Amino acid sequence: MKNYKVNRFWSMVATLLIVYGLAKWGVPAISRHITALPFPLSVPGTLMFIYMTLTVVALFMLVTFSDEHMAEFMYPVKKLLRGEYSSVLRNLVLVAVPLIVGWQVYEVIVPKVQLPTSLRIQHPSSNFPKKFEDLKNPLESPSDADIDAFIEQAKANEVTFIPQVMADIEIWAEVAEAEHTLEFFPVEPMKKFLADLGSGNVNRETARDALLEKHLFEGRALYAMNCRPCHGDSVAGDGPMADGFKLRPINFTDNGTIETIVEGYTFWRVMNGGPGLPTEATPWDSAMPEWKLNLTEEERWKIILAEYNLAEKTPRIPESH
Amino acid sequence: MIFNTNIRNKFQFALTTAIAIALFTTGGLALAADKPSKPKPETTTELVEQGKTIYFRRCSFCHGLLGDGNGPAADYLDPRPRDFTLGTFKFRTTQSGELPTDEDLFRTVSRGLSGTGMQAFDSDLIKSGLSEQERWAVIFYIKTFVPEFEDPELDPYLSVVELPSDMPPYSEELVAKGKEVFKKAKCWECHGESGRGNGQESFDRTDDWGFPIRIRNVTHPWKIKAGSEAIDIFTRFSTGINGTPMPSFIEGIPEVSDRWALANFIKSLQHQLTSHRVLKALRVEGPLPDDPGSEIWNQAEAMDIRLTGQVVAAPRWQNPSIELVITQAVYNDEEIAFLLQWDDPFKDVTHDEDAEFDPVEIGKVGAFNSYVNPNETVTRQLKTFRDSIAMQFPVKPLTGTKRPHFFRGDSSNPVNLWIWKSDLADQDQPAGEEANARGWKQPPRIQDEDQQEMVTNALWDNGRWHVIMKRKLLTDGRGDVQFSKGQFIPLALNAWDGSNGEHGRVMSLSSWYNVLLEAPTPVTVYIYTILAILIAGVLGIWAVKKAGEDDSAKDNDEDGVFT
Repeated sequence: MKNYKVNRFWSMVATLLIVYGLAKWGVPAISRHITALPFPLSVPGTLMFIYMTLTVVALFMLVTFSDEHMAEFMYPVKKLLRGEYSSVLRNLVLVAVPLIVGWQVYEVIVPKVQLPTSLRIQHPSSNFPKKFEDLKNPLESPSDADIDAFIEQAKANEVTFIPQVMADIEIWAEVAEAEHTLEFFPVEPMKKFLADLGSGNVNRETARDALLEKHLFEGRALYAMNCRPCHGDSVAGDGPMADGFKLRPINFTDNGTIETIVEGYTFWRVMNGGPGLPTEATPWDSAMPEWKLNLTEEERWKIILAEYNLAEKTPRIPESH
Repeated sequence: MIFNTNIRNKFQFALTTAIAIALFTTGGLALAADKPSKPKPETTTELVEQGKTIYFRRCSFCHGLLGDGNGPAADYLDPRPRDFTLGTFKFRTTQSGELPTDEDLFRTVSRGLSGTGMQAFDSDLIKSGLSEQERWAVIFYIKTFVPEFEDPELDPYLSVVELPSDMPPYSEELVAKGKEVFKKAKCWECHGESGRGNGQESFDRTDDWGFPIRIRNVTHPWKIKAGSEAIDIFTRFSTGINGTPMPSFIEGIPEVSDRWALANFIKSLQHQLTSHRVLKALRVEGPLPDDPGSEIWNQAEAMDIRLTGQVVAAPRWQNPSIELVITQAVYNDEEIAFLLQWDDPFKDVTHDEDAEFDPVEIGKVGAFNSYVNPNETVTRQLKTFRDSIAMQFPVKPLTGTKRPHFFRGDSSNPVNLWIWKSDLADQDQPAGEEANARGWKQPPRIQDEDQQEMVTNALWDNGRWHVIMKRKLLTDGRGDVQFSKGQFIPLALNAWDGSNGEHGRVMSLSSWYNVLLEAPTPVTVYIYTILAILIAGVLGIWAVKKAGEDDSAKDNDEDGVFT
């Protein structure tokens, strides 16, 4: 039977190696082309185990199919064991195989030092108080009375700002010699409001937009003072203090963060910070302060308004009950 | 076993993915943003108007509505935001004292200034960033604050310093040559022999804006503002840093190749951060070293702990001096010793309690700001506050992943603090104090004198503190951390640099890291391994024997089957 070019034993070994190679390197290599991701997707360990088991079972069935197959398969094995290739080679194999077995056994049973990792829930709801669910940012929809008060202030050129921004505005007003304080806003809604004010016909709609701009301005200033050190002026969680924390500050421009939560939730998180988190959110690693200890409620709402605006996101709408 | 492998593989997969993503993004960071990809647009009124709107929204809170560097956030930053109206710009490719080119400004706006409040604004780097056009717009608007830009005699393009091309790559010879240049050009007079910024004796000079000069520690690449690559370093000392005593060395070191060598030498001084979060304590026989210079420390693995400003609770501090502490640990049957090393250009060993800042007002709801003003609220000078460091451990052994809050624990999870104070060490008093805390609201409570078992030894040398803290592995103290083998023990740091005004909660701190005393491998592991080898060996011999028997039985058939 001259047509046997490769002995069955070697073709089996080759098959095993090829299957292993395909699963180990072939699939990840192909995955890069399919997914176009900058990294390969490797075959998970369990799947690898299933592939290899199936291959071994198939090969076993093939070998035990007939006595001839078996004999052919065993031929080089027996030849080796009898020392017909060379007695040195046989002795080498006889030493090497038990050592490899021993090494594998050791690898499996030796205790491995690995830090327990914990899955972290980013937006835990287990202790989120229901009453915050429907909370709306009061600055977004100011009452008519608030708008009217703003118009009155603007008419008298006596708009008041939070103290934190006053110094900068006062110097500006002195240097610019502007007719109206609100002129430092280079934004359309405010320009329109001032124009309307000048022509003496102000409507609430325009005033409301202008008031929102004022609140945004104050909110951005408070954000720059309080939140920027960690969350960054990019609002991407990359502020100058961010590198020192194991749990990096949240990136608000990320699609999975402030966009997926209701405003009331944001308010609750800003209020209670890291210590207010339940266990599943690893409060012990969070550097988020309890801002209720330092910021007034109004300051917190102004910051949240600016935060969504800078990240160009909108909060999730509360579900109706 | 399969389960274990699976978990490990998943973990490895997640890790590789994370690393791949990190490499991808940081690779982008180094490449993108450096230079504009499209030609610079013409300065038009519309563009300047657009720039004004962007400036108002993104820049004015630090740089001020008038570009005078007096925005509401400015007082709390060191270095302060640039006052554009003075026309002094630090980072340029033009000769010392000159204005920057538009491309220089483009680079600063795009890449930001590392280690400062000025962050990258490139939309390729951050989602909320600015497009090239928007960056040009804001630059053209910023230039309207600086009348000097209109003077044709001050045209920065006339004084551009040529940057080297085809320079040899980084090599040992280049570094050795650069070291000679470093010596000859006397860089060490200010930056110190090891580059730790410890060349000066006191804050006796101020910059053009009136603030005391703090010399750069060039070994911390994340603090090198305008880039830490050799070419960035080359540019800095070839053009000087306007407004500061940092001169241009274009005349002092006329040969371009010498300057290139110097840049590579400085690059070689940069610290390579480790990334692991588990400090493996080295087991040693015999007594533990009291001397930071002991040979034993060379064998113990080092772990870098990154610290940042204490911004969790008022008074908040965003100008930390100590951002890196290199930690090591050794233990024997009785004791454990830690070696902590950090760079600090001044040895501050006095402490004036009367100069301490009272944080009550700043910590109230609706206080103007809960961050400390580095130039007003605290005294940042020599001989006022001590240097100090504290190690923090949980008191209770870990159950699951739960642990105390990294900032001094909480009411139900106390922490044990090992505090070292330089002023006590200087007076030859015991400088170590063991204390306990349950949250940051109360200062740590120092343990009773008979409970104090931790001993310290410290040395300040060439701009670096080396502090050893040593204690018994196990104690009777109820507030003490206990070190048992094979367990992860969380470890965090608090650190104070006295001449940076740091004391109390005005300090730098780290998140949790871990220390591990590796347990010896159980004997059973070896027994099972040897058993496995024996069984496999016996099976092998049996197979040989069996093959021999088959040989005689089937001798005649063999040719028929296989030929």
